[in-house]
Amino acid sequence: MALRRFAVHRLAVLSLAVLLLVVALVLVGPALSPYNPEHTNLDLRYEPPSLAHVMGTDSLGRDLLTRIMYGGRISLTVGVLAMTVAITLGILVGALAGFYAGVTDAVLMRFVDMMLSFPRLFLLILFSVFFGGTFLTVVLLLGALSWMSVSRLIRASFLSLKERPFVEAARALAVPDRMIVLRHLLPNSLAPIIVAATLGIATAIIAESTLSFLGLGIQPPTPSWGNMLKDAQTDMVVAPWTAFFPGLAIFVTVLAINFVGDGLRDALDPQHVVRSGRR
Amino acid sequence: MVSRYAGRRLLQALPLLLGISVASFVIINAVPGGPLAAYENAPGVTPMDLQRLQHQLGLDQPLYVRYLTWLTHFLTGDWGYSYATQQPVLAMIRERLPNTLYLMGTVYIVTFLLAVPLGVLTAVRQYSWFDHLFTGLSFAGLSIPTFWLGLLLIIVLGLTLRLFPLGGMATPGADFNVFDRLWHLVLPAATLSFVGIAHYSRYLRASMLETLNQDYMRTARAKGLSQRSAVFDHALKNAALPLVTIAALDLPELFVGALVTEQIFGWPGMGRLFWDSATRSDYPVLMGILAISSTLIVLANLVADLAYGYLDPRIRYS
Amino acid sequence: MSRPHSLMIAIAAILGLSACGGGGAGAPAAHTPVRGGTLTVAIWQEPNTLYPYYATQTVSTLVYEIALEGLVRVLPDGTYGAVLAREVPSADNGGVKLSSDGKRMDVTYHLKPGLKWADGQPVTSDDVMFTWQAIMKDPKVTSRSGYDQIASIDTPDPLTAVVHYGSIYAAYASRFSSSVGQPILPKHVLEKEADISKSDFVRAPFGTGPFRITEFRSADHITAERNPNYREAGKPYLDRIIFRSVPSREVAVAQLKAGEVDAMWNLLEAQLPDLAKQTDINVRAVASPSVERLEFNLARPASPADPSVPHPVLGDVNMRHALVLATPKKRLVDKLLFGKATVAQSTLSIGWAAPKDVHQDDYNPARAKQLLDQAGWVPGPDGIRVKNGVRASLKITTTTGDQVREEIEQVLIDEWRQIGVQLEVNNVPSSVLFGSWSQNSPRKKGNFDINMYASSPDIDPQDTVVQRFTCGNIPRPENNGAGFNYYRYCDPQTDQLVQQAGAIVDQDKRKALYTAILKRVNDAQISVWLYNRSNIDAYRSNVGGYRDDGWDNLTWNAQEWFVSRK
Repeated sequence: MALRRFAVHRLAVLSLAVLLLVVALVLVGPALSPYNPEHTNLDLRYEPPSLAHVMGTDSLGRDLLTRIMYGGRISLTVGVLAMTVAITLGILVGALAGFYAGVTDAVLMRFVDMMLSFPRLFLLILFSVFFGGTFLTVVLLLGALSWMSVSRLIRASFLSLKERPFVEAARALAVPDRMIVLRHLLPNSLAPIIVAATLGIATAIIAESTLSFLGLGIQPPTPSWGNMLKDAQTDMVVAPWTAFFPGLAIFVTVLAINFVGDGLRDALDPQHVVRSGRR
Repeated sequence: MVSRYAGRRLLQALPLLLGISVASFVIINAVPGGPLAAYENAPGVTPMDLQRLQHQLGLDQPLYVRYLTWLTHFLTGDWGYSYATQQPVLAMIRERLPNTLYLMGTVYIVTFLLAVPLGVLTAVRQYSWFDHLFTGLSFAGLSIPTFWLGLLLIIVLGLTLRLFPLGGMATPGADFNVFDRLWHLVLPAATLSFVGIAHYSRYLRASMLETLNQDYMRTARAKGLSQRSAVFDHALKNAALPLVTIAALDLPELFVGALVTEQIFGWPGMGRLFWDSATRSDYPVLMGILAISSTLIVLANLVADLAYGYLDPRIRYS
Repeated sequence: MSRPHSLMIAIAAILGLSACGGGGAGAPAAHTPVRGGTLTVAIWQEPNTLYPYYATQTVSTLVYEIALEGLVRVLPDGTYGAVLAREVPSADNGGVKLSSDGKRMDVTYHLKPGLKWADGQPVTSDDVMFTWQAIMKDPKVTSRSGYDQIASIDTPDPLTAVVHYGSIYAAYASRFSSSVGQPILPKHVLEKEADISKSDFVRAPFGTGPFRITEFRSADHITAERNPNYREAGKPYLDRIIFRSVPSREVAVAQLKAGEVDAMWNLLEAQLPDLAKQTDINVRAVASPSVERLEFNLARPASPADPSVPHPVLGDVNMRHALVLATPKKRLVDKLLFGKATVAQSTLSIGWAAPKDVHQDDYNPARAKQLLDQAGWVPGPDGIRVKNGVRASLKITTTTGDQVREEIEQVLIDEWRQIGVQLEVNNVPSSVLFGSWSQNSPRKKGNFDINMYASSPDIDPQDTVVQRFTCGNIPRPENNGAGFNYYRYCDPQTDQLVQQAGAIVDQDKRKALYTAILKRVNDAQISVWLYNRSNIDAYRSNVGGYRDDGWDNLTWNAQEWFVSRK
């Protein structure tokens, strides 16, 4: 039924198709490309788009399209994994706060407040410098700084669900807390989780690209859409395609994710309460 | 009792802010490298010189001593001196803050001026071509990386068409000229506003639709309530509430600035000051900016909660 | 070519104005000095301070150099020249006298007569003494190197200053020099300041130079006005120089092309192809003493590293030698730097001490593979060599946000993989790479494999070789991390040679010693000297009077500058 509601949104369906296309491209494309994304060819620097190089070459003579496809693997994987970390942490904290309420809730929410009071970019920058720009640290870092809104969502959901009769009944039957949470409360909170997860990927992709753009995220020579744009700042004067295509990749992917997320929101939770959105 | 609630929250904020300052100080100092890096690669500097400078900056003292020194000075209004420029931290911030306020203030105003009518219109004319067009545009605004948009605007409007300057706040060397200032303001403000309008208009639209589709509204309309009244007296007022909340929460941005945008457009604001200080481990300036930023965020949260309580009669704070 | 034009070229050639040489594409620079006008220089980095003794950035020197001068300077050919002094003191002209026991020395400076500060006050030897005292008293000065060897200064008359060194300080000639940012300070202005760092002087200094800094508006511009009391009559030609703060090099280039600024400081090589097409812009690439290098860690990486425990991979001199052989220096210079640099052979590239026949091996990957085979590094199944269970896998660290460096790293990854060495990138911000021991900088603590960065030796190399190549200057817990011998290289014979070079004053003898030292260092293969960096600056064609000087910034002879038809 939710599926049917989703299918009505043509834009969302179209975006889903686009997303699947993007995923297919980054998974399969690299194998099909005759170019090695890390092999440098100093004689072919800054070639404009041509038949041989559909998106041109970059400052080290590497084929841009191939690098975008490889970079997509990294950016998308970081996005999904970072979101997973964020969702997991968010559910953990939010469930505890929402279910046990009282002091636990107060303490945890103060903790959330404190985390939210830190300027996010500040922490991101400092920690990146400290821990280095490896794949793992970027994922953990992005995840650790975006779980807060999810926890609030879960907490709100649990707080309201807790008062429902079926929970009282379960309690009366001496069902252990753990089971109540896992079997009853979580599944009923699934809708906002799914939507948050989808949109979380979009946020993570943009966050990774911003971090890499500043030089702190994924390190070269591993391509990511963000660090490809970093060099484009100087290169764009002589080679604007190096700035255009990687950014386009991010834009199209994130746009598609947002449309899909919007469609999911309407499909799964037609009476969703408007939540606070952050930039 | 609102003032009592506010007072209580303010008191609670103090240990929070203190904790943040401690955590920040520890983090900043844990980052390897330090402020002497600039001296290390300067020709002619000997190891003896470096040791002397280290002592001079107090870097050879234990961490808690340095923190307490900073704290006691900070609370008495002495925010210290920058390691890099030897200027007082407060003076540096005071130099940069107006520039950020100028940019972000403009963005804020433009965003609201455009987002509110757009949000209302697209909600009222849901599913019209107008709605579809602006929904598309606002999704674009939500999805586009700010720095890419900025780069594109520079390439197209700045480099290729030469319509706008490539960066900075004004044409240096020239005297103060309002038009020149505005001309330099366009691209960075446009970049940030595009994204801001996208967020706020969608938000407003969603809230308005939620209200307009409520049962009681349908009843009221059936009973003869005019479209205009429905929109303005009811929907907008109800939608204003969450909007004000987010607006309040975004207030700190006014002061701390959009770092990446300031970088791309060479805007001499707080964002760039933060980045420059972070990359050269200029602890006093970093702590100063952090103090401002975290205080503002805490205050903004409080204002948002109070506004919420004030505007929504269903909520009462004890 | 029209006749007047060729006539001017001929005159210029006769007069030997190298500014008319034209380093880049485009019209030759303007020839005939024009009095008056304003010249705008774009700077993409803002100076933190304009007080020479606090400054660490080259952009600070760029600006204050037009206002403050020293007793001597380094000329473009790498020799010393006199500025405020009548002549450079040396043993030959009696300016340098050794004590009877040969353990101390006196250096006498005679000031030119009639010198005035920009505010009209006379320049006297008291100012020389004051400068020394200011350096020694102020805890915030960057470096006291050499000045801490001075026991006292006498001023027998207003135009004579006798500097009594408490030891034989070989590098005496490089002190009080404009080119190392150690100019003479006005005593009558600064002696009343309790803390110079809080005075206006650090933002708007003035001295004996052709201009005085009158305004410093943060993140906007710095204004310098003509000094009416400048010692050369008729100069400076310009009325005013404005240093315009621009957000980035890209904006600077755009403004230069549009004619909004007249000159631009410190371009990147990557910007050259764009400017090469401009017919009204001259690009000058001037060889500077700065050498970009790959620094090997000979000790096992740890925090802190123990110099007696060799690096598992780089501890083998054959491996280091192979890496030198596998680095395509010429190709990097030609392609990534557009030929605007030269391949480096040692840490001293220009100057009187630069050796003529100290080399590193050229690119020869076949020989590299041979060396590694013979040394017992056997290629594993993935192509990466292994010896005694140790994989030839290394990490390279350089500063983030530097495109050329990142490009070089990627070329190296490619090249070295072909000889069976795996290289990974681990870049950090420059404040981390160049940080201090107490802040756990990996370079200081010895927690790295290979560092890539550039460093410039002084005109006098003694400090450089002491700090970088001697055993005592390996950063250790015992000496609180003092010293710049990041290689952890220790060779008693090198130590001896270095000591000898620092104990004599004869320049020729010292040069021979430095050649020997650098040869030993190269034989030990502790570093890959990549290339000698050039200072690349750009001027519009209506700007004239500038002369290349690799030891200095483009503003070193600002009194000769002019702009025509503006």
